[in-house]
Amino acid sequence: MTLDPTQPEPTQPQPAQPAPPSGPAEVGWQRLDPRKLLTDPVKLLGQAAIPLIFVLLGVGSGESAFWLLATPALIGIAVLAGAVPWLTTWYRVTETQLQVRTGLLNKKQSTAPLDRVRSVDLEASLLHRVLGLRKVLIGTGVDTERIELDSVSAARAAELRGLLLTKSTVAGVDSGAPAGEPTAIQDPASPWAADASPAENPGREQELARFDLSWVRFAPFSLTRLVLVAGALGFLSQYYEELPFLNEETVNAAWRWVRGFAVALVITVMLLGALLTWVMIAVVGYLVQWWDLRLTREQGSLHLASGLLTTRAISVEEQRVRGIELTEPVLLRLVKGAELATLATGVGEGGSTSILPPCPREVALEVGSLVLEDPTPLGFALRPHGPKARRRAYLRHQWLTLGLAVGAATVTVLQRVLDDPDALGWLPGWLPWVLVAASAGFGVLVARSAYAHLGHALGPRHLVAGSGELTRVRTVLEREGIIGWVLTQSIFQRRVGLGTLIATTAAGDERVVLRDVPHAWAVALAHEATPGTLTPFLAPASP
Amino acid sequence: MPPAVASAGPPAALPDPDPVALREPAHQVCERAIGYWRTHALIGLTISLLIAIPVYLFVPGRPWWLGLLLLGWLLLNTVYAVVMPPLRYRIHRWELSPTAIHTRAGWLNTETRIAPLSRVQTVDSHQGALMRLFSLASLTVTTASAAGPITIAGLDAEEAKQLVATLTAITGASTGDAT
Repeated sequence: MTLDPTQPEPTQPQPAQPAPPSGPAEVGWQRLDPRKLLTDPVKLLGQAAIPLIFVLLGVGSGESAFWLLATPALIGIAVLAGAVPWLTTWYRVTETQLQVRTGLLNKKQSTAPLDRVRSVDLEASLLHRVLGLRKVLIGTGVDTERIELDSVSAARAAELRGLLLTKSTVAGVDSGAPAGEPTAIQDPASPWAADASPAENPGREQELARFDLSWVRFAPFSLTRLVLVAGALGFLSQYYEELPFLNEETVNAAWRWVRGFAVALVITVMLLGALLTWVMIAVVGYLVQWWDLRLTREQGSLHLASGLLTTRAISVEEQRVRGIELTEPVLLRLVKGAELATLATGVGEGGSTSILPPCPREVALEVGSLVLEDPTPLGFALRPHGPKARRRAYLRHQWLTLGLAVGAATVTVLQRVLDDPDALGWLPGWLPWVLVAASAGFGVLVARSAYAHLGHALGPRHLVAGSGELTRVRTVLEREGIIGWVLTQSIFQRRVGLGTLIATTAAGDERVVLRDVPHAWAVALAHEATPGTLTPFLAPASP
Repeated sequence: MPPAVASAGPPAALPDPDPVALREPAHQVCERAIGYWRTHALIGLTISLLIAIPVYLFVPGRPWWLGLLLLGWLLLNTVYAVVMPPLRYRIHRWELSPTAIHTRAGWLNTETRIAPLSRVQTVDSHQGALMRLFSLASLTVTTASAAGPITIAGLDAEEAKQLVATLTAITGASTGDAT
């Protein structure tokens, strides 16, 4: 939708018109901020920096005259290349649309109807911030590609965001939103509704959460960043062969040097070092991402701003927020921490947006309640799925044990039959069976945890699902946001009368899964959660 | 500031809903679907045999268990081609009400899907070459959720065409962006 080359433009039939429009029909076209002329060349040079450094290391210092000439040339190219986007990008906001034109040779016009604007995010790298610039990303919810306005002044960006979000809300109300919007079912007796309802004080900003430096103690217990570290190491390992000091001789020398110490000591020191490095990476990463976090509610949208170096400010229409997800990974649970995300429709990849970093559980609960405008769903006692579901949880986690047991039995039999020290003699006969026992024990632990997390509850406005194996996850989905049901029964589940109920939705992961619910409960729950949907298909009440 | 969540005690969710039962969807798919599924399974079996047998014959010094493996696999596929189609025919059912669509599919594992028609986004029908031979078609209804497409496989082609028309008429009448 953002790419619409067929869209007729008022002035396009006149080929004589120069590229930068100036006719009366074209009022309102604006360029990006001229300070973009500074940021783009720096960004270009920055992208080329890592390969350049390695090239320089490889070339050595022998040809310094070449580089004396090449460096100014490179900078010149970067400056010229950086000027092109500024010269060729124009945007304007009309009564009904946001229009952006880009491109020097391949012209492209992106158009977003204002009533389709779902989210407006502001981003600023360190360089942007020094120069007082912002990058504006506009999501329309129809496709994942977002319209990007890189480099408008901070004031203009804030103005633009206000304008786009206000217009989208107004237009959304005008276009006849589907009956039963969440605001219509608020319980007027609840003090929460009176205090927090955006409908009652639309202009006022309400702060929901603010960064607290003490939260940083949770950073090392969240392992999500570990994946990023591993990825970065993988990327850097591409270049290690080009490091001049890494050759067989130095590696061997280092190894001999290490062997000089007691191996146990070396391992201890290495583990400590790894731990320390991890804590440092985690803390720094946490601060860089979440520093100065502020979560606010204003004009029917949620605003999230954070960042130490690069700042980002995300806005999502509250109408689009269909629920929240409280996640407590096992390590974080040890220190009573939790993470919080919203489930929203039309916010691009994933659909769930983290709104709180790892932080104290109470904070996550409180903020979650504020976002939902209802304190109850996060506190519901979940209904467990019963002894059959428990038994399935225990059985399901023993598949690995079964596989290992088959392997171990094969090894034992072969050792007896062959009695040949060359074939399997090197393997101690007890080792496979120890592995089997360990796997069985671990399976029992995971199963116990998984069953403890399993459950569901239905509130007046929300469906709550508990899930997760070692991580405890509680998903709260607005009943309004449920757009269908799937009930699957594997052959094992059919035998014991269980089923997996999936509420499909357009928000977040697009599904909320209740595993191993007794079949009759699942039907009753679906019927209760979305009144009317199942009615035509229900069996007549049996006596 | 709102009161702390913890101090409120565990709030009560709604009481457990009254038990209700779902009846099976009213309509079966076309009976020719059994033939179609069986042919489909047999074609797959034939193709893999055409590959597996020459490979088996030309492997030098083949161990004894390789033949056993091949035989077992052949047996399993034959049982599949015999047992699966009637089971599938018994499970596959569908029903359309003025407000919602209800389907059931599968043979060993089953899958029941229900979606209100007001949330339907697209209605597609599909007919592969083999399906055309049996004059069958399948119909897929999608919603705004990637988890929610509903497929009715093995419909009579003519019936599928009518169903698409009906669905399009119903869903075209509803407004909103169905999220």
